[in-house]
Amino acid sequence: MKYNLELIKNKRKIIGFSTVLVLFSLLGILFSTFNTSYKKPINLGMDFVGGNELRIERVCEAECSNFSPDSVLEKLREISKNKNILNNVKLQFQNNNKLISIRTPYLSIEESNNLISNLDNIVGPLNYESKDSRLIGPKLGKRLLTNCVTSLFVSLFAISLYITIRFDKKYALFALLALFHDLLIVFGIFSWLGIILSVEVNSLFAVSLLTIAGYSVNDTVVIFDRIRENLKSKKEGYNETIQLSVNESLRRTTFTSITTIIPLLSIILFGSYSLFWFSLALSLGIIVGSYSSILLAPSFLLKD
Amino acid sequence: MKRRQGWLFFIIFLLTLSVYLLINYPLQLGLDLQGGSQLTLQIIKEEGKVTRDELEAVNSVIDKRVNNLGVSESNLQTLGGDQLILELPGEQNPLVASRVLGKTALLEFRTQKEGTSTDLKILQLQRLSIKELIEQYSFAEKSQNDDNLLKIIQDDLKEIEQELNYSSNSNDLYGKLIEIKKNVNKEITNLFIKTDLSGKDLINAGRRQEQTNSNWEVLLTFSNSGGEKFAEITKSIAGTNQLLAIILDGESISEASVGNQFASTGITGGSATISGNFSAENARELEVQLKGGSLPLPIEIVETNTIGALLGSKNILKSLYAAISGLIFVGLFMIFNYRILGFVSILSLVLYGFFNLALYSLIPVTLTLPAISGLILSIGMAVDANILIFERIRDELYDGNTLTRSIDIGFQRANSSIVDGHITTLLSCFVLFLLGTNFVKGFAATLGIGVLISLFTSLNCSKTILRFFTTYQFLRQKNLYLTRNNFLN
Repeated sequence: MKYNLELIKNKRKIIGFSTVLVLFSLLGILFSTFNTSYKKPINLGMDFVGGNELRIERVCEAECSNFSPDSVLEKLREISKNKNILNNVKLQFQNNNKLISIRTPYLSIEESNNLISNLDNIVGPLNYESKDSRLIGPKLGKRLLTNCVTSLFVSLFAISLYITIRFDKKYALFALLALFHDLLIVFGIFSWLGIILSVEVNSLFAVSLLTIAGYSVNDTVVIFDRIRENLKSKKEGYNETIQLSVNESLRRTTFTSITTIIPLLSIILFGSYSLFWFSLALSLGIIVGSYSSILLAPSFLLKD
Repeated sequence: MKRRQGWLFFIIFLLTLSVYLLINYPLQLGLDLQGGSQLTLQIIKEEGKVTRDELEAVNSVIDKRVNNLGVSESNLQTLGGDQLILELPGEQNPLVASRVLGKTALLEFRTQKEGTSTDLKILQLQRLSIKELIEQYSFAEKSQNDDNLLKIIQDDLKEIEQELNYSSNSNDLYGKLIEIKKNVNKEITNLFIKTDLSGKDLINAGRRQEQTNSNWEVLLTFSNSGGEKFAEITKSIAGTNQLLAIILDGESISEASVGNQFASTGITGGSATISGNFSAENARELEVQLKGGSLPLPIEIVETNTIGALLGSKNILKSLYAAISGLIFVGLFMIFNYRILGFVSILSLVLYGFFNLALYSLIPVTLTLPAISGLILSIGMAVDANILIFERIRDELYDGNTLTRSIDIGFQRANSSIVDGHITTLLSCFVLFLLGTNFVKGFAATLGIGVLISLFTSLNCSKTILRFFTTYQFLRQKNLYLTRNNFLN
């Protein structure tokens, strides 16, 4: 083929680069685990720990007046019946002070309604039609977490099983190695995002990891298929055939990544905010997945 | 060639069918798209698993209560063996529903133990003073948290706690008051002995305003056997100083004496009233609970999501923008790189979209934000299959094969990769669907359906359309299939 990716020459660089990425992710996970405020490998969101999240817009003429979150919290404490629900609260103004988003520990529906009417008194009037409120009990959160972790392991196991049956042991091992590499890096990036930007992961993050798993394996399988096919009708050396196969599938793999990332980008740009981090995680996974399928997994197969 | 034409008609038939389905069976929108509330109810069982019978029993009680509440278009379904999901579309306040549904509403009638009159009087007095404290508290709140008054309430409460020999766990004053009130009601319950009359003996419940004041009372109508039991019980304590208590979920809500005139027959007529200082709202809630019967197992509301209608319609618009712009850019990308083939992939993508949506309305799949993102993501995967095929076709064309032969070989050779890739994604979807929450299930369903349909559209529809195109001479020039740009050639 006309396009030539020098896989053989760059084997060390590729594996070195991946090692750096993996170490970087592990470091993020370690930092997050020993961080006093999270103590978890990743910043678990409301889905998993329970709590109350409220987003509501204010009705303003032209521009919304400016409030400092601290002063609003102080007033809220003054007029609230139950003072304790206001410990550990995060309050933010977004969209030019128009959108209020507030996070508290778990509240009952009644307490949440009280909170909203108190907010209305302080920064109102509020537009109730724009309300987005989620209350998740801590019990359910724990259950969701176990559910997500189980689904992740079950489906990784199923994929591993399928690959092992479908391919030789060597191919299967390397395909899976590439898969765990991808998942670890996306996970690590979100650990870092949690530390730096306090980005939280919810159940959709687990979904994105699962989707990335399916996708990344798919990519690797296509390339390995090509390698197997070419090795059968071997004209050149082993290493050269692998490099040739990668180059032959290069267009397909990049194109597929592009056509998958385009819709995700449109969700990131135009979609609802609740899908933002989800789409970002998926996009990252697809980029890392393509890289590992094109460069990393075939490099494992190369002989020194 | 004949067989392909058959396929062409079949595809046109499917397309017409899809459009027909979509017009006549509109898509169901989830609450995040139309606005509304969703409550997740968890059945609590201390030991062992919730059985199917228990789940159904709880489901039917909740269903009756929801119906009696008069919420419109509500939807109740079970989830995962021990959870129920209640959806209230539109701007309906989940608060009332949560109050009515959360209670077990176990109604009991008990008679007073002998020799407990003094104990009962003390407790009743304590209950009265707590009620007064609660009233004072709400007054103190209205008057900008009158600190003196709050201090008095606190001191009074402490006194009562000492008398009761009970210390409350709540952190704030209001919570403490409510907790102590409950405790007193439970203590009162302990002074009474169970009878065999319970909420199961009711056939109806109602409410009306008391004649003497603005309070409400709840009317109970017993079944025949219930009426007999009630007469029996009232007869046994008529004229004595033993009282009859009506107990709801272990708390006594009303204690009444039975007059001497009932000593011979008991209270007959099969009905009774509970007057426990109910507000109109409370009376209605109790009425609904009693009509629905008591829950065989207690439930807890573990999740509540509320989305305003405006936000819902915004979400629809945003998803539409995302889906359409995604489609357009993917289409442009394909035409730029594959010319005629790109055009074919767009046509099969359009078919793909219609088939997907038609299946959603047929199954039905409720469209939620995660479901839509599953659909949008599956567009990328559907195109992937096309790309795999087109790359093979290009390879064959570069090798100097004829167009028809290249197309045949291209479809053949891409087959195994496509099937492999689809299976790994389907595996993930399957696991997600089995173990995921309601929210996640939507994503898994649309992605899974999409992956299955894309097998048909990319392998079959693309081929049929392509074959149809190549029957025209002017569409058979090779340069319409090969790009001249050198990007990744």
